[in-house]
Amino acid sequence: MFLIELAWKNIWRNRSRTLITMAAIFFAVVLSVITSSLRDGIFDNLVKNIVSFYTGYVQVHKLGYQEEQILDNSFAASAITENKIRENENVSGITPRLESFALAASENTTRGCMVAGIDPAKEDRVTFLRNKVVKGSYLKISDNSVLLSEGLAKKLNLDFADTIILIGQGYHGATAAGKFRISGIARFGSPELNDRFLFMPLAAAQEFYSAPGMITSYILSLSEPENTGTTAAALSGSLGKEFEVLTWGDIIPDIRQHIQTDTGNARYVQGILYMLICFGIFGTLLMMMVEREFEMGMLIAIGMKRIKLMLLLLVESVLTVLTGCMAGLLVSIPVVYYFSRKPLRIGGDTAETYRRFGFEPVFPTSTDPAIFIRQGIIVLFIGLILSLYPMARAFLINPVKAMRK
Amino acid sequence: MFQLPYRNCVFYLLLTCFSAYPAPAQTATEIVQKADEKLRGATSQAEITIRTVRPSWSRSMDVKAWMKGKDFSMILIQSPAKDKGIVFLKRKKEVWNWMPVLDRTIKLPPSMMSQSWMGTDFTNDDLVKESSIVHDYAHSFLRDTLVGGRPCYLILMIPKPEAVVVWGKLIVCIDKTDFIELHTWFFDEEGQLVNTMNAYDVKLMDSRLIPTRFEMIPADKKNQKTEMIYRNVKYNRPIDDGFFTTGKMKGLS
Amino acid sequence: MAWRNIWRNKIRSIIIMLSIAVGLFAGIAVLALYKGMMKARTRTVIDSEAGHLQLHHPAFTEDYDPKFTLRNGSRILQEIRRMEGVKLAAPRSITNGMLATPGGSSGVQIMGVLPGPEYAASQLDKKLVEGKLFDDAKKNQVIIGRKLAVKMRLKPGSKLVLMFTDSSGSIVSGAFRVAGIYRSANAPLDERRVYIRMKDMNDLLATGGAFHEIVVLLNSDEDVPRIQQELQHKWKSASIQSWREISPETDLMVNTTNQLSYILMSIIMLALAFGIINTMLMAILERTREIGIMMALGTTRLRIFMLVILETWMLTFAGTPLGFLVAWFSIAHYNRQGMDLSGMGKELMSSFGYSTLIYPEFPAEKFPGLLLIVFLTALVSSLLPARKALMMQPVEALRR
Repeated sequence: MFLIELAWKNIWRNRSRTLITMAAIFFAVVLSVITSSLRDGIFDNLVKNIVSFYTGYVQVHKLGYQEEQILDNSFAASAITENKIRENENVSGITPRLESFALAASENTTRGCMVAGIDPAKEDRVTFLRNKVVKGSYLKISDNSVLLSEGLAKKLNLDFADTIILIGQGYHGATAAGKFRISGIARFGSPELNDRFLFMPLAAAQEFYSAPGMITSYILSLSEPENTGTTAAALSGSLGKEFEVLTWGDIIPDIRQHIQTDTGNARYVQGILYMLICFGIFGTLLMMMVEREFEMGMLIAIGMKRIKLMLLLLVESVLTVLTGCMAGLLVSIPVVYYFSRKPLRIGGDTAETYRRFGFEPVFPTSTDPAIFIRQGIIVLFIGLILSLYPMARAFLINPVKAMRK
Repeated sequence: MFQLPYRNCVFYLLLTCFSAYPAPAQTATEIVQKADEKLRGATSQAEITIRTVRPSWSRSMDVKAWMKGKDFSMILIQSPAKDKGIVFLKRKKEVWNWMPVLDRTIKLPPSMMSQSWMGTDFTNDDLVKESSIVHDYAHSFLRDTLVGGRPCYLILMIPKPEAVVVWGKLIVCIDKTDFIELHTWFFDEEGQLVNTMNAYDVKLMDSRLIPTRFEMIPADKKNQKTEMIYRNVKYNRPIDDGFFTTGKMKGLS
Repeated sequence: MAWRNIWRNKIRSIIIMLSIAVGLFAGIAVLALYKGMMKARTRTVIDSEAGHLQLHHPAFTEDYDPKFTLRNGSRILQEIRRMEGVKLAAPRSITNGMLATPGGSSGVQIMGVLPGPEYAASQLDKKLVEGKLFDDAKKNQVIIGRKLAVKMRLKPGSKLVLMFTDSSGSIVSGAFRVAGIYRSANAPLDERRVYIRMKDMNDLLATGGAFHEIVVLLNSDEDVPRIQQELQHKWKSASIQSWREISPETDLMVNTTNQLSYILMSIIMLALAFGIINTMLMAILERTREIGIMMALGTTRLRIFMLVILETWMLTFAGTPLGFLVAWFSIAHYNRQGMDLSGMGKELMSSFGYSTLIYPEFPAEKFPGLLLIVFLTALVSSLLPARKALMMQPVEALRR
């Protein structure tokens, strides 16, 4: 098409000018992609860390358990339910738990604690419990011993191989009382977990609480965490009314809070970024128009229809913007991928805090293709809107005045 | 933990015994006082069955209880088998617990006090709570009524401002002849009925006329109640203070 | 001559000036926003929950056993209040217990407070949503959280019984009336925390005038580590914790978002630099012809060079105050009003009681750095093409 050819030639006729404009767009795309992907990456990583700790991405309970977390709101573990859950493609791991309160006692001290009956192998796959063991050994499914958290062990003055007494309220009013050997001590980064928790094999817990075959929750890990919401909704539908399906956001709302607040904030910062970009591009366009006034005046004087001129300018802009965008995306993709495999290492205070929690102190980027697409489109859009200016100029130009310069 | 509080009322029934002697009643307060005095003896020993009834399950527990005044009581669980041999000791405001399977005596720490007692609707701290229906309320006559052929007083009880009770008001139905508390209705401050206590099966136990079956029914929960059946009661046999010690808990059975 | 040059090509000059102004404005705005955001994040935890620092008897925080009161609490309190940098210090008696109503009971943490200092320390008065604050004339009042009120069906005026263990381990209880209902940013805490007057609590606990905790609010967030050290030095036997230690999860979040903010700020600075470079490049490019003419007419290369530099400097100087002023006024305006940055999800935020307002602050300490960046960028970006233009032959330049 004639116009496109002409436009292309025009562009390359003044290489520096074109390159500068493309560069503006190029940097715009690269910067906004990096910004977005860093932000998403950092928070996704944080959530993954926090969630893998204990809550999992999604939890399945008997309806009413979240409101009133008592043993009477437990449900029977069943292969049918598990299969229904596994049918959802996003579920990468599932582990059952029976959780309840108990009193832990040693020779001279008693402390309240949370008992979690787990399936050691499955639990490890979802929450990596095994590598939190610092002394003694991890649990085996048929054991009648417990894994004690470090803080709790210290308070009770107990150590690996000691005996611990547990007393609690069982299912349907039964009394729960028993002595257990401590087979291992585990250290958790979160003080909440580290000071109060105790793990034992599911069967032993069910026996202790007189709740044969019962569990309080299924903990799920997902392969695509960004689809947590839809997965939870889908599971809720397939499991029916007796169950409630909750996401980590429902269970630890203040983390989700924080992230949402920051998202709101980030929008404004992104806005400023776009503003800067706009101005960069606009500035160049403006200059360009000033310089080309003579040229345009002449084109109209020799008979080119205004509409055609406008279209020409539009095509020029489109080509420039498109090229800049593509270039930007092409460059940013490998950069983002690199930093997601070899993420930035953080230092200072933040790194300390991360390490204390047991998290790796890194800031990875997110390689979600939606980021690239979204940023690309936004910058494209901005570029195109801004190119309306040259078109307007062309529309309004007075050839005589223009050529007089 | 969300527990029904009517247990505290039922519980003081557990810790009491009845005696009967006729006397001319005058003011409402004196009537209530008489009924209350009959409920307390110097000492008592009783064998009681406690039934906790819920919509989806129910549990029955047999206990043997020794009581001396308001300050001391010892409760031995006799059934079900898993709980047999467990002992609770109350000394004034402290509660101790002996568990044969653990071979340990444990003093209940504050964090356990809100836990349900032995799976019933009572909580551990109901064992130690004390409020007096005589001293903590102001009494007035409502009217006379007839219950199961017995003429009774209907008395309104309003808690005094300083009283440590959750109720807005109580209405109690006391038999005129034998001063037995046959019914009690518990209301909150809005006037809503929260709990109803009924006493049945008046029998002669150790030469005293007492109701031997009590039930406490919450108004807003369906198919739920606590029942206490006194199978056997002995009164005023002397019990030494030394009986109510942690040392004695192990030897009971 | 530089001056005349500038005004000869008005549009071009204006554009350059504006790009500097906008760049400066954007830089300041972002820094101000971040400063405001970082403060807001920590504000909720510090101002309404943990305070900057807390002092306890070292054994107290283990299990909240009421017998571990702060030794010489009143004396410590007085001395802290006199310390420089301390905004206020409020004492608290704390114990765990049960709240009983006709409808049921619930585990609670009971805070015995002095109304005045407590309102200042935790904004309890601002969090009140129903009923009234403590009335000095009435005894045994309690202020409970909205979530708990809903769960237990309580309203202002309702009667309830509070039960807990006293310092000797015996169980004590008292009848209380709900004076008011509060709502804070932390719903789980609302369900657990109830406030009564310290006098009422101490009467029941039999601890005399002693209390368990001192909450300290400082004048400036930055003083926390220093004052923490000072306090620890003075009272070696007490446990002195900063809000970071008290609420490590918040610390994690705040640290992450702060670190992220720094990174994003750098990116913005980069964008700013590019923007300026772009504009300058373009400007110089357009002047090729002009420069060619000047050279043809005999102006020395050096003079042309100086000319370009001078023009750049003048425009920069012109644009800077513009950007600065716009930034100053808009920040001052929003600082007073507060910017609502939540966008969507505002409903969710306020249901948590989270304030979604950010008060941007003028980043005075970063300003010199920012100016430097802007100047350098403008300069560098005008130099390069200027050199390039100089290298050209006049004939070529004219031909363009």
